[in-house]
Amino acid sequence: MTDGAARARRLHPLTFVVGATRELIALLAAGATGLVVGGLSTAFYFTLVGLAFGFLFHVTTWATFTYTLYPDRIELRRSLIGRSVKTIPLDRIRGVDINATFPHRLLGLAIVHIDAGADGGEGELNAVSRQEAERLRKVLLTRSAAAPPAGTPPPRRTLARMRPRWYLYAPLSGAYLLTPFALAGSALGTLYNLSDDLGLVTRERLADVGHEVVGLPTLGVIVLVVLFVLAMPVMSVIVFAVVNWDFTVLARDGSVVAERGRLSRRSVSLERRRIRGVELADNPFERVAGVVRLTALVTGLGDAAHRGRLLPAAPRGFADSLAVSVLGPLPSALIPHPKAARGRRVLRAVGPPLGVALIALLAGQPWVVYGCLVLAVLAVPLGLDRYRQLGHATDAERLTVRSGSLRRHQVVVEHGAVIGWRVRRTLFQRRLGLATLIVAVGAGEGAYPAIDMAERDAVALAARITPEWVLPFVEGREEG
Amino acid sequence: MTSVRRTQETDGGTPRPPRLRPPAHRVSPRAVAHWIIEYGLVWGLGFGLAWGVAAWVEGADWSAVPGWLSERVWWLPILVGAEGLLMVTVAPVWRYRVHRWEVSADVVYTRTGWFSREWLLVPVGRIQTVDTRQGLIERMLGLASIEINTASHAGSSRVEGLPVDVATRLAERLAHRAHDLRDDAT
Repeated sequence: MTDGAARARRLHPLTFVVGATRELIALLAAGATGLVVGGLSTAFYFTLVGLAFGFLFHVTTWATFTYTLYPDRIELRRSLIGRSVKTIPLDRIRGVDINATFPHRLLGLAIVHIDAGADGGEGELNAVSRQEAERLRKVLLTRSAAAPPAGTPPPRRTLARMRPRWYLYAPLSGAYLLTPFALAGSALGTLYNLSDDLGLVTRERLADVGHEVVGLPTLGVIVLVVLFVLAMPVMSVIVFAVVNWDFTVLARDGSVVAERGRLSRRSVSLERRRIRGVELADNPFERVAGVVRLTALVTGLGDAAHRGRLLPAAPRGFADSLAVSVLGPLPSALIPHPKAARGRRVLRAVGPPLGVALIALLAGQPWVVYGCLVLAVLAVPLGLDRYRQLGHATDAERLTVRSGSLRRHQVVVEHGAVIGWRVRRTLFQRRLGLATLIVAVGAGEGAYPAIDMAERDAVALAARITPEWVLPFVEGREEG
Repeated sequence: MTSVRRTQETDGGTPRPPRLRPPAHRVSPRAVAHWIIEYGLVWGLGFGLAWGVAAWVEGADWSAVPGWLSERVWWLPILVGAEGLLMVTVAPVWRYRVHRWEVSADVVYTRTGWFSREWLLVPVGRIQTVDTRQGLIERMLGLASIEINTASHAGSSRVEGLPVDVATRLAERLAHRAHDLRDDAT
């Protein structure tokens, strides 16, 4: 292994088996339905030919792809039709994910995904053996191609592990509640397409199904709907548990590794020095239950919302302590924003429904007007809560800002990650003495606003964090 | 982490809270002409389109269009025209009074906007690229704009309406300085 530093390697030989799994499954499904219906349809033979081509394609892809690890870079070489060489300098690598779908796991394989930010692009090795994946991750992230001395297991420390009880938090977040609909929709769609291809769908059968549905008594339909609604939280818990099974955060060789998943185990490595902050997000239901989602803000990480995830749902105190061990102490209590900001939040919440109501009134649509008025009344507590959630704070090393109500998020960012300040004041804000301070950060979403601070506080906060950029432009300070 | 300074407690020392002063330089007065032409073209086009839509809806006499809509369809070009007039007469002058820029102490400091104003402070060390641009109208007026890009869209800015020579010199200076100061904080 030690002299293998510059040796071209191929992917694992079983790769083409995994690659052709989809074709294989399609073939099996086509064969099975063929047997059930009696007589193999043309679709079966098409699938067979498809499988043969698929195998050929996957074998040639495997044979023509090599990767070479040099002390300072990794080269991915593809010579199927044209030649292409992708070079990723090791010092540009920002994260290495190891992912394994169910077939990969059966064969002991893993997909290595190399993320190198905007300047380096990204590369994928699909697939290598699990040991090779671990070795690559270690080498790529420690920036030296020297293999680790045999016998010493890499030091790893568990920072956090999800408790099974927390899977029950799934229904609190809206996204997982909708999964049953998505699943049902895609399953029905696939089923319809497949059976249509195989000639199972005929006009009569469709009509039969239609008759059965229409023929059901109203009570039956209601029971069905109620069952479906009841199934939503249960399904969301199941989906959540499958996706986030045994969610574990580890510390290993200067990086933070998050592992999760039941059917396909996924592991994301985030380089510690590139973690510049964290985001704590929740919605009103999660707030009542004291649950929060934790995401790391990493410079140059693509798909950061999913890949930076450190905890999908956990009690607040637990998430805070993980944030502390990943990032360092968080700034203490948030400073609320001035009272003048409250009116603006409420007006912003009430404004859109009132505007629509006005247009509807001019157009003479009374029902729309009533609906919008109800919405406007409901928006008042929303606006008040939005005001209550506003806050900012800073300590010697990190600053934090919080905003939002239906999706509240608090961001903690290192002072060193700030790459600029933007102060925004509309005419109305100027009259109220308010200002929105936008923190430009080269990680995460890139910008985090502290909405409607007192104008002087906004400048003072920026001046406190980066005095050398701000003080030269402060009034009456030139002399001192 | 090179740029992290340990905090100096500014709140204790100063009785007055700090306020940003305006940046030192105005943009070229020809920028007003630029904005007038630009807004005039865009809003003129919008007005023409709105007029066309209104005439079309009135002439077509569809049953699908409810009566309350086709009766009031001429409001659309009137509203668009009124806003366009406002934009062409008020906004350029207002903008000229607001737009200012300054580069000192290795920080790019700009103030832009009119109705809503933005002050932007970006240290030269965090700049990734500096572009100069000249649109057709800018070329006729001898103006140019420079675009400063950082790793964050919020830290990127555009200074419009600079005289060409000023813009070129500034962009060159910034690019050199950014290269010298570049730190890998992003």
